[in-house]
Amino acid sequence: MKAMYLVNYFVAGCIASSLLGWIASLHPMSFRAIAFLTAAAFIAWGLCWLLDFSVSGWLKIPVANLQAFLLAGLAMAIIGAGVFLCS
Amino acid sequence: MQLKMFVLSGAALTLWLAPLTALDKKVGWHKSMQGLSLGAAVACAVSAGNIARKLAEESEIDELKTRAIKADVVDEIGVSVYVSQQQRQQEAELILASPGLDVEENRKALEAIYSNDLQDTASASEHPDYPIYLEVCKSREAGKSPTWIVENILKMGGRKFSEGKAKLQDLLNQFEGEDND
Repeated sequence: MKAMYLVNYFVAGCIASSLLGWIASLHPMSFRAIAFLTAAAFIAWGLCWLLDFSVSGWLKIPVANLQAFLLAGLAMAIIGAGVFLCS
Repeated sequence: MQLKMFVLSGAALTLWLAPLTALDKKVGWHKSMQGLSLGAAVACAVSAGNIARKLAEESEIDELKTRAIKADVVDEIGVSVYVSQQQRQQEAELILASPGLDVEENRKALEAIYSNDLQDTASASEHPDYPIYLEVCKSREAGKSPTWIVENILKMGGRKFSEGKAKLQDLLNQFEGEDND
């Protein structure tokens, strides 16, 4: 059952990523806004990898969980955006 | 609850993929439909995830309960075994410490305590006639005649003498036969 709940949240992340893609496709301004958001998120993602021990201490979670969360986030973004762009 | 979770998961996947792939882009409202379905899909996936998390937590609690019950049972068995062992030891010490009893009686009492749980069938020493047989053996060793034994130990003198003699023969056959086996 734990796997099911992780899979459901993963799918929710993928769909959210597709939704961001859809918002970006509505208007050039929204595209810029989403591009800025994506760039900021990517910088934060890289910083989290560099400062993983500090961030895990700040969030009070194990480092392995933080790394798994970061990888899952990247996978969700790639899958969601990929599905939206290929449709 | 599980069915609801599976339905929501399926709905989330369908609402995510179907409008993106199946809708014709020439249709004017396809963008708004995509947005609506993607929003609904996110809601369905998050709801399914929440339900699955709740179920996972419940099953974890059930597992913990089962483990606690098992540990409790094992602990109870351990305590009862320890108590019974201590009780037996105390009984054995009491019997050995009590004055006025001869060694043979002590041995029998201890045997009775330790073999009580193990023996299902009644042995010869637990037979109701066994003490009489022991008396008969003692008398025979002392050189007493069968007539004396019938009259004084079996208490079957006079008219019951022939019956007593048969009983004596039966006793000897029964216990001496078992000893030979």
